[in-house]
Amino acid sequence: MFEIEITDGGIVSVEGRLDAAQAVKAQAFLDQVEGQCVLDLSKLEYISSAGLGVLLKTHKRLMGSGSGIKLVNVNHHIHDIFRYSGFDKLFEIVPASG
Amino acid sequence: MEQKFKRSFDELKNIVTMTETVFRQQDLPEGLRHVVDLATEELFVNMVTYNTESEEDILIQMVPHEHGIEVGLTDYNVERFDPTKAGKVDVDAPLEERTPGGLGLYLVMKMVDSIHYEYRNRQSKITFVVDRK
Repeated sequence: MFEIEITDGGIVSVEGRLDAAQAVKAQAFLDQVEGQCVLDLSKLEYISSAGLGVLLKTHKRLMGSGSGIKLVNVNHHIHDIFRYSGFDKLFEIVPASG
Repeated sequence: MEQKFKRSFDELKNIVTMTETVFRQQDLPEGLRHVVDLATEELFVNMVTYNTESEEDILIQMVPHEHGIEVGLTDYNVERFDPTKAGKVDVDAPLEERTPGGLGLYLVMKMVDSIHYEYRNRQSKITFVVDRK
């Protein structure tokens, strides 16, 4: 299961498993985003390199216009993946509390 | 447990179901799941993406043992490609030099406890082990 949507507060909520099968859906959604983008990953259970590629491509596009992606509510496992990938140096990341 | 999967990303959900079943039946620690899921997906996707000359299904075998789990992926009728010798990724490179892709095999090598590749009779088999920490 994978869902991505904009919540009432303008934050993009990502839920479920962002794997190679879902990367096209995620990319198509994020291609429509303009300006500063906050991704709430509190319900993201899993991400593979395909999902990382989606985040990187979108971040680079947005950075080109002076904004970018901020990743919030990142759980321990997902944060490990970001750290191994060097994404902790590329993105502003706010870990999940608790 | 072993199961064959068609050469499609749509099979990823079925691979996850297989992994869930093995972990439940063998009472393996959930803490290993993230690494097993990631390594299995990355290696499967690599086979589907780059071994395009084959139309045969890919075999996945999962063998629990006292130290954790061993997972094997076998691809049939393909050329040799050793993922353990894939090019390195500079994860310290600045954003402008980073490109999507290339991270999958890097993450596998980084996260599994051991990995082994063998090629024989046009069969390519990659086996990795994830241990209980």
